[in-house]
Amino acid sequence: MIKRPFFERIKPLLYLLPFIISVVIFTLYPIVNVIRMSFLEGYKYLTGAYTGVGLENYQKVFADPYFRQALGNTFKYVLCVVPISTAIAVVLANLLNQKIKFQAFFQTAYFLPMVTSSLAVGLAWRFMFNDKIGILNYILGLIGLEPVNWLGQSSGNFMAVVVFGIWSILPNTIILLLSGLQNIDPMYYTAAKVDGAKTLRIFFRITVPLLAPTIMLVIIINSINTFKMYHELFPLFSGPGVAYNLFTVVYYIYYEFRVLTPPKYGLASAAAVMLLITVFGFTMLQRAVQAWARRERGEDGKDKKRK
Amino acid sequence: MKIRLENIVKRFRDNTAVDHFSAEIESGELVTLLGPSGCGKSTMLNMLSGILYPTEGKIYFDEDDVTFVSSEKRGIGLVFQNYALYPHMTVLENICFPLEIKKVPKAERIEKAKKMAELVHVDTMLNRKPGQLSGGQQQRVAIARALVKEPRLLLLDEPLSNLDARLRIEMREEIRRIQLETGVTTIFVTHDQEEAMSISDHIILMKLGVLQQFDKPQYLYDQPANCFVADFLGNPPINKVEAVVKNGKVILADGSDSGVRLEGHDDQKVWLSFRSESVLYEPDSQLKATAIMTSVMGKEKITAFDLAGKEVRGYFDSSLDFERGQEVGIGFKKTGVFVFDYESGERYL
Repeated sequence: MIKRPFFERIKPLLYLLPFIISVVIFTLYPIVNVIRMSFLEGYKYLTGAYTGVGLENYQKVFADPYFRQALGNTFKYVLCVVPISTAIAVVLANLLNQKIKFQAFFQTAYFLPMVTSSLAVGLAWRFMFNDKIGILNYILGLIGLEPVNWLGQSSGNFMAVVVFGIWSILPNTIILLLSGLQNIDPMYYTAAKVDGAKTLRIFFRITVPLLAPTIMLVIIINSINTFKMYHELFPLFSGPGVAYNLFTVVYYIYYEFRVLTPPKYGLASAAAVMLLITVFGFTMLQRAVQAWARRERGEDGKDKKRK
Repeated sequence: MKIRLENIVKRFRDNTAVDHFSAEIESGELVTLLGPSGCGKSTMLNMLSGILYPTEGKIYFDEDDVTFVSSEKRGIGLVFQNYALYPHMTVLENICFPLEIKKVPKAERIEKAKKMAELVHVDTMLNRKPGQLSGGQQQRVAIARALVKEPRLLLLDEPLSNLDARLRIEMREEIRRIQLETGVTTIFVTHDQEEAMSISDHIILMKLGVLQQFDKPQYLYDQPANCFVADFLGNPPINKVEAVVKNGKVILADGSDSGVRLEGHDDQKVWLSFRSESVLYEPDSQLKATAIMTSVMGKEKITAFDLAGKEVRGYFDSSLDFERGQEVGIGFKKTGVFVFDYESGERYL
C-alpha cells in the first residue's frame, strides 16, 4: 500500500477537531471532574486542596435524610409524569394525526408550551394553582369537589408539580410520536378498514403496536429528562416545595453546591454521580427492552432459518 | 358473484382517471385489469373495493347497488401490492384478524385460519412474524387473510410486482390454483401483459381511463380491437411499419408492395402491424428485407430485419441462416397481420 503523506492522513482529524475540542472541554472534562470530586474528601474548589481520597462522600450522601427524600421524590415524580404524559401524548398525537377540522389550531395549541418560557408559564400556573383565586379550584368547586391546597404544605404540591411537569413535556412528546405515526404506512389502516375494523380496535391493535418503538424512545427521553427535574420548582414554589418537601436529586445537588455555605462540593458531586448512574442504568434497561421488541418482530432476521 | 359496472366515471379535480367504463364480469371468473401506469386500473380497483367512490355511474354486485357502500360492507377481500401484513402479528394472528373484527369466536377463527393457511401452503409457519417470511410467503399469507372471511370478491392490486421473476411465475400459478379451488370471483390488476395472459379468464385492457377491449386473452392477442391493444400485447412486441393504401394495396414507405390487400381506404396513411410469428420466408417474394442480426432461441431463431427503414423481427426455423446484410424475400401469413389507421389506431384489417 502506498503511504499517504502525513498531512493527508491527519486531514480528517483536523476537520473533526473543533467538535472534539468542544466535546472534551464542555462534556468530558466536567463529567470526569465531577467523578473525581466525588471521591475527594475535604475538597476546596478554589484552591484545589483536599484531605483524602475515598468513599466518604457517598457514605455521607446515603446517610443524609434529605438526599434519600430527594431520591424518593425524584423516582415518584418520574413514575407519575412519564407514564401519564406518554399515555396522554399517544392519544393526542393520534388525534392530531387525523384529518380533523381546525387541525392547525390544535397543533399550535399543543405545541405552544414548547416555545414559551417555562418560568413565565410556571408563574401563570402558580396563579391557576392558587387555592383561593385559582381556576383549578374554581373548576373543582363547580363539579362539587373540595378545593385542594395545591401549593401549600400537603400532598397537593406534589400533584401540582406533576401536573405542571406533564404539561411541560407534552409538546416534545407529541412531536416525537407524530413523526412516529407518520412513519406508519397508511396501507395498514386501509387494510384494517376494508376488513371493517373500528377506530378503537385500529388504535389498540394496529397503531399502538406499530408505534411501540417510538413510544419506547419517548419513555427513555422523558425518563432521563424528568430524572433531572429541577427548574419546574422555581416558578411554582420559589424553592423545593414547602419546607423542602419537594427536594429532588438535582435540587439537592444545586443546594449542596450553591446554597450551603460553605458549599459541600464532595456531597454534590457524589449525588451527581448517583444520578448519572441511575439515568445510565435506566437507559441501558430501555435499550435492552427495545432490542427485545425488535427480536420479537423478527426484524433482525436472526431466526429466519428457523423451521 | 356477478359484477356489473355501468358508465363509471371518476374525476380527480379536472383529471379524468376513469372515463365511461362499462363491463360485466361473470361469477367465478378471474378477470385482469391490464394497462400501462396511469391508465386508471388501480382507480377502478379502488372503486370496486369501496376505497374510492365513482363520480358517475353505478356498480352492481349481483343485483345489489354497491356504488356508495363502504368497503367493509361489500364482502370483499383485498390483497395489497406490499401485502400490508401487520408486522407485529404472527402469520396466524394476521389471518385471524378479519375474523376477530367480525367477532367470530376464537376457536372457530383459529380453525378457519388454519384451513386457509393450508390452502395457501403457509401452515408450517403460523407462528412466524411477516418479517421472517420471504416475499412469496408473505404474498400467500396476504391472500389467506383476504380469503378467510369468505369474500364475494377477491381483489388483487399488482400482487406480483414485488417478487423476483422466478417467484412471480410460481405465484401467479398459485393465485390461479387458489382462485380455481375456492371459485371466488377475482379481479387482478397488473401492468404486465404476460402475467395477465397466463392466468386470466378475461382481460380488460385500459388506456387513459378508457376501456379498450374486454375479451379472452387469446382473442385479445389474435383480434386486437385497435393499434394500442396490438402494441400492448405480445412478446416480442408486434412489428409496425408505416404504409399507405394505394389502389387496395398496402404500400410501404420505400414504395415496395407489402402484399397485404385492403379495400376501401385508398390514399390513407396506415400502420401495417404483424406478429413476429406471422413472417414467412419467401425467396421469390417482391418484398425484400435486409437481415440485421439473428438470435438463436433453441428450436427456432429470431431475426431482426430492416424493412422499409423500420426494424422488424421474425421467427424462422433454425435450419435457415441469414447473413448480416443479406436481402431476404419475405411474406406474411393470413393471421396476425393487421392494418390500423395511422392517427386514430382504428383497425381496418
